[in-house]
Amino acid sequence: MDAVRVEDLTKKYGNSEVLKGVDLRIEEGEFYALMGPNGSGKTTLASIMASVRSATGGRIEIYGMKPEKAKELIGYVPQENFSSPVLTGKENLMYFAGLLGYPKKKAEIIVDDLLHKMELSEDADKRVADYSGGMRKRLEVATVLFSGVKVLILDEPTTGLDPSARRKFLGLIREIKEEKTTILLITHIGTDAELASKVGLIDEGKIIAEDAPEELKKASGLKDVINIETTIKSETVANVLSKFSEKQKVLETEVGYRVYCKDAEKATPSIVRALDAVGCNATRIETEKPSLEDVFFKLTEKMVREVS
Amino acid sequence: MGQITATFNKTIKEFLRQKTILFWTIAWPILWVLIGSFSFSGNIPSEIIPYVRGAIAISMSVFALMTAGMANLPGNITQDRERGLLSKLMSMPISPWRDFVGRIFALVAFSSLAAILVVLVGYACGARFSYTVIGVWEAIGFLLLIFLASSGIGMLLGTFIKNVHGAIMSGVGITVVTAAISGVMAPYSSLPWILQQFARIYPVSSANSSITYLLVGGEDYAGYNPLTASQTTLTTAISLLLFFAGLITYSRFCWRKE
Repeated sequence: MDAVRVEDLTKKYGNSEVLKGVDLRIEEGEFYALMGPNGSGKTTLASIMASVRSATGGRIEIYGMKPEKAKELIGYVPQENFSSPVLTGKENLMYFAGLLGYPKKKAEIIVDDLLHKMELSEDADKRVADYSGGMRKRLEVATVLFSGVKVLILDEPTTGLDPSARRKFLGLIREIKEEKTTILLITHIGTDAELASKVGLIDEGKIIAEDAPEELKKASGLKDVINIETTIKSETVANVLSKFSEKQKVLETEVGYRVYCKDAEKATPSIVRALDAVGCNATRIETEKPSLEDVFFKLTEKMVREVS
Repeated sequence: MGQITATFNKTIKEFLRQKTILFWTIAWPILWVLIGSFSFSGNIPSEIIPYVRGAIAISMSVFALMTAGMANLPGNITQDRERGLLSKLMSMPISPWRDFVGRIFALVAFSSLAAILVVLVGYACGARFSYTVIGVWEAIGFLLLIFLASSGIGMLLGTFIKNVHGAIMSGVGITVVTAAISGVMAPYSSLPWILQQFARIYPVSSANSSITYLLVGGEDYAGYNPLTASQTTLTTAISLLLFFAGLITYSRFCWRKE
């Protein structure tokens, strides 16, 4: 059974077309990650599913109903930190329990349970302003775990979290997955998307590829990726490396570059020599299997994440 | 626990836990009651001073209501919108009207607390009133009109100004400027003719004059008789107009899908 069905969905803001005929099906209990760069339309798609925005054309069904009629089945966690910083964690959850009409005593029992589940029991009476980014995100996810929610839409929940908070948070998502909730994870982080059973890659308002993470990698034809940390990042260095890469394109990372080649072992010594020749040292070279971000780059020649 | 109670609890706690809100809505008017009670009564006959202080306490409690409605309410709305709470609420099976009612009830409770504290401080500073039981009920009615007009302006600001600081500063600006030019912060009799006309049209000011008239001592303190049928009708009509304009704008535009 399809939990979410999107057909030929379009969205225009004035003359700008943000979604250009999106088709998407998510089965009940599936963990689906929608990955794309900023401005690709993924947040717009999520917010239309959550009834926050309206579509210009096309159709969306959540368990066969229009999103406005299926609000009780949808748990939406927007990108922003929507919890009130001056209230405590428990007060925030009690507010949402109240909005959903739970009687006070029952709400307290459910809220205590959710706080326990989110490992926030000890900090329940602290104001949210004193929470870390990860704690706050966990609290906000808890707002959609009141009973009845069947489709969870998480819009970039790990953005801004440090690696340890991200791991903790993603562990939680795995736990929810075991409970057979349908999850739509909006992300621009490849390692987050890898957790999903199916990944859709979205670019310029269209889904350009969709499959299980491993299948997407296989289909991309990418073999080896050489991850190089360099002392210098410049156009010259990128040009030198591009000669060793497929289609002469390299992906810039935070600490260097990723080079796509068929035989990493053979190419590595030549790469080191070429970098030396332009006065750049490679401080670290590793051969890796391609990631989903590499697949996206292969398909679009664009980076999913901006590199500062 | 229903949606109204949940929204009321959240909003009142947010009002009571933010120092800037407490300062501008409670401490600032109290400060002016203290300054006004002891600084501006030099040439006034001593038997009148307690009533002048009473008029100052009333004006400052009106100022507190204005700040709550025109600055705190839009601040609360824009804060919720800026941090994505309104988007989150739109995705939930809840009613915008109940959200509105919860917010307004919280604002009524907070404004009342502020107004009572200001009057109590005024009383402690020697303010005295001259009133009848019916007059007190009528004054409460006019306080309600001030609340409706202020929160109407606040909802308009909160709907159209997207930025939190912009909404709060605009609210504080409108509160201070209109209070200064309409006779809330200065005696009506000292205003030039054009501002006296404005004071009669601006419902917050005319309701303030009505309360002063009812609780302090008639025209001598209010500057004119604001309790004529035409003036009362005008004050009520404009207050309701502002409130409903704000209410319709808020529920249509703040909760509208893009």
